[in-house]
Amino acid sequence: MGKNSNRFRTMVSVLISLYLVVIVFPFVWVMSASFKPTQEIFGEGAFSIVSRNPTLENYVNVLQNGILQAMLNSFIVAGLTAVYVVLVATLASYAISRFKFRGKNLLLGVILAVSMFPQMIIVGPIYNLFMKLNLTNSYFVVLPYSTITLPVAVFILVTHFNKIPMALEESATIDGATSLQTLFRIIFPLAAPGIFTTAIIVFIAAWNEFLLTVTLNTNKSYHTVPVAISFLRTQFTILWGDVAASTVIVTIPTLIVVLLFQKQIVAGLISGAVKE
Amino acid sequence: MKRMGFKELLFILPAIVIIAFFSLWPIMKVINYSFFDYQLNDQQKSELSLDEKFNVDLFNENADYVAMFIDMNRDSFPEDAQGKVDEVVADVNELKMLLADKSGLIELSGGLKKQIGEQYAKLESEAGYFVSSYDFPDRENLKLVMEDMGKCFVRSNFIGLQGYYNAIKDERVRTALGNTVVFTFVSVAFELLLGMGLALIMNKAMRGQGLVRAVSLIPWAIPTTVAALMWSYLYDGSSGIVAHILQTLHIVRDSKDLLLSGGGAMASAIIADVWKTTPYMALLLLAGFQTIPAVVYESAKIDGSGTFNTFFKITLPLLKPSILVALLMRTLDAFRVFDLIYVLTGGGPGGSTETMSIYAYKTMFQQTNFGYGSIVVILMVVFVALIAAFYIKVLGANVMERD
Amino acid sequence: MKRKISLLVAALMIFMSFSGIGVSAADERVVIKWATQADTTPATQILIDEFNKSQSKYTVQWVQMTNDSGQMHDQLLTSLSAKSSEYDVLSMDVVWAGEFAAAGYLNPIDRDMYAAGLKKTLYNAGSMAAGNYMGKQYTLPLFPDLGLLYFRSDIVSTADAAKLVSGKYTYKDLAAMAKKYKGKGGTTDGFVYQSKQYEGLTCNVTEFTGAFKDIKGGLETMKMFTTSDFVPKNILSYTEAETHNAFINGKAVFARNWPYQYAMLTESVKPSQVGIAPLPNGSTVGGWVLGINKNSKNAAGAFEFIQYAAGWTGQMIMSRRGAHLPGYNYLLNDERVGNPMLKIEGFKNAIKTTISRPVSPQYSKTSDIIQVNVHKYLSGGQDLNTTVKNLQNALK
Repeated sequence: MGKNSNRFRTMVSVLISLYLVVIVFPFVWVMSASFKPTQEIFGEGAFSIVSRNPTLENYVNVLQNGILQAMLNSFIVAGLTAVYVVLVATLASYAISRFKFRGKNLLLGVILAVSMFPQMIIVGPIYNLFMKLNLTNSYFVVLPYSTITLPVAVFILVTHFNKIPMALEESATIDGATSLQTLFRIIFPLAAPGIFTTAIIVFIAAWNEFLLTVTLNTNKSYHTVPVAISFLRTQFTILWGDVAASTVIVTIPTLIVVLLFQKQIVAGLISGAVKE
Repeated sequence: MKRMGFKELLFILPAIVIIAFFSLWPIMKVINYSFFDYQLNDQQKSELSLDEKFNVDLFNENADYVAMFIDMNRDSFPEDAQGKVDEVVADVNELKMLLADKSGLIELSGGLKKQIGEQYAKLESEAGYFVSSYDFPDRENLKLVMEDMGKCFVRSNFIGLQGYYNAIKDERVRTALGNTVVFTFVSVAFELLLGMGLALIMNKAMRGQGLVRAVSLIPWAIPTTVAALMWSYLYDGSSGIVAHILQTLHIVRDSKDLLLSGGGAMASAIIADVWKTTPYMALLLLAGFQTIPAVVYESAKIDGSGTFNTFFKITLPLLKPSILVALLMRTLDAFRVFDLIYVLTGGGPGGSTETMSIYAYKTMFQQTNFGYGSIVVILMVVFVALIAAFYIKVLGANVMERD
Repeated sequence: MKRKISLLVAALMIFMSFSGIGVSAADERVVIKWATQADTTPATQILIDEFNKSQSKYTVQWVQMTNDSGQMHDQLLTSLSAKSSEYDVLSMDVVWAGEFAAAGYLNPIDRDMYAAGLKKTLYNAGSMAAGNYMGKQYTLPLFPDLGLLYFRSDIVSTADAAKLVSGKYTYKDLAAMAKKYKGKGGTTDGFVYQSKQYEGLTCNVTEFTGAFKDIKGGLETMKMFTTSDFVPKNILSYTEAETHNAFINGKAVFARNWPYQYAMLTESVKPSQVGIAPLPNGSTVGGWVLGINKNSKNAAGAFEFIQYAAGWTGQMIMSRRGAHLPGYNYLLNDERVGNPMLKIEGFKNAIKTTISRPVSPQYSKTSDIIQVNVHKYLSGGQDLNTTVKNLQNALK
């Protein structure tokens, strides 16, 4: 038995390592390209992982070009979206999961249908609206982000709330707590892993967004990372060195945050799990 | 379950308001567009109109031009035609007086319609006289401006379901649909398998778990457009390392085939998508794993159930709602795929990776045909709705209801 | 509880409003917003600064657009179709001008030109034609571009070079030369050009088919080039970037590219080793033009700026500091421009034989059909007759 499980464990370890290599490889390669001068990114130096003439020029370029500002914007925009969308979605999902009301299926149907439309169609009307309200070039761009994030958030949270037994709340209601109190005192802590996951998903969806920001926020000081990186080109060429350097600059801090806090993140996930 | 009162209504109100404003309203517009021949680059079709209209701005602009082209070329006309030049200028001014308080698209009716019609005919014949009788530098231009003036009378561009009929017969729509379906199913299938594996690993306590978790999230944290750019470098036919490795391993015949053959480009797009979104799938599933109470596993162990047995008999059924939601979300996302393919292949080579989204985007924003583009979008939504309905029917009666 | 929710909403609003809607400081000058791409040269900034210094009524502000021209087109379209006055002056690729004019997004400028005493013949003819729709002029040139044949004069024989420079040669001749010289002087490819499925392919198809006069013959020649051994095997993914990389690093004997490539010749291949010639069936006109947003609230100022930018001073700045071709014809013979290309005989010949991509308000659609069909044909996914038929339909 021990031998068998050992072999199994080795196999799993090999598989995991392989998986990690595959996942990391593209990023490592881009990282190596970020230290190469332009001539080595394409052509002869392209297949060697170490540059013959390593340079920090790409990094200097993009740092001067305001990539840090773009990162800050991305964090602000994604963070704001995560906070307000999760809040709105939690309220709605709780109601859908716990209350009986007419039109519930219609509401769910509408939410599902909304997430079937491609994002491009909202760009025109939202642009008109934002021009009229004078909201272009501001962080208000997070409001239309709801189109891409709210439906997912509601769906994940509803399935989650549905799994949480009702017994606890019922006793709370008997004790005279209002619905909102029940939600925040009892359900919220219990649903923490789901809410946490939802927040991450919403954050990343907003972090990825491109079309709305590039259309609504033309001012460079409001550009997010994807938009800023799309500007790293001349009329005929993409500045690959700069793109590579920006990718590294943007990814490394995210990676560090996850590594540093992964214990807390995991603890949050586990402690919130339902204990029966 | 409690009945909902007014207070409880407030729970769903913010969501309803936000969705109505930022999603439903634009969607209604798109549905409306789809019944019109709505093209921005043609001033006769660039507004939705149900009945005949008159474009005042275009008319004024062209009338000015008629006067200007004739007045500017005064020197080219003989002495006896000079009076006619002044006449044209006067007529144009008269016409403009008629429309002085109007702008944009208006409905012409009654007396005004008659007056404009008469004046327009007069101007047309005057300009026609100059074009046919004399040779002058702006003769061709004057002809074109007169032609453009005819476009001021705008007919209704309501076409009902005609656009849908055209789209169903459009071979490019069918190709795009086929590409979208292939992309969606293959990439979601791989993501589900790999994501499940990843979620299992993330869920198990083991050495180096933190590293696995952190590293797994890298692809997801790189914005899609940036990831696509990155992959296009890796796939490059001459300097791309991935293309090079695949060629060396004889997985592809030639490194250039990766992005330059239909199958290769589709496979490349799918690989990039799987790389990028598997962590997302894993996270969706992981949240599901977390809600499976530990007691369930313990009792399974006591009953002597093996690892695989436990997984298929216990974990999987309990995970079904989470899997369904994850599948649904990912399918909806993959069906709408845009950024990734747009940056990676632009729909090429020869349209073999053109998905519905890409085709709709090209029609709407590049070719400014919003009517037809809207139809492509709606057809796409109809199909994805069918798929969603299929999932819900087959995989579970109703996940949204409490057991 | 209602109070709590409203408090929550209020908090959210406050949280968000730190974004602040900027209130600009009072300025006596009228602000003209110019939507134009990011510029790797200092030319655009200098042009703006010089204009702002030259008069006291207007201040031009640069709204930086992406250099991804497809993205820029879509962004402008969203703004213009909303009848927004966000931008006063617009930079446009020559192929969009007709489309935007047809849509009624641009202000015609004939009257202003007439009042200012400007004749159309002052400016680059190709650029002016691109901005002329239904008899009305909508644009002035920012900078013109044209397709050129670059060749290695240190490899190609004097006789062959003379033939190229004269422009009296065919694509077959070019193929023969590419075959002959490939491998000489450290090169690995004979000829490089643009064949990826994108706008550049339309430019090349225009050239190979002689502005679509001989579609069948042109496409056959292209296919012959694609499958030959004197072009790189992945020519079907070549854009301008791959082209200039191959040429400036000394890998290719011949290259079809725009004038910008000349300024990149520095290390591996020097300008003295390079010759320029017209393309066999004429050179496609490209480049950028300036137009005025119809909904601009400062049309007069906008015209004053584009007149300045397209005129003597503006074009001198664009040419000297941005290494662009001047769109103002007087400068073509002006020594002070300092652009060495203008003195090259092959270049002068190329300017005389320019051809246009199809001019149409439906241009994007036409070009898209050309790209998809030709790329399919060249990569072996479609036969010649179908391709020719589809192109003919698209061009109708």
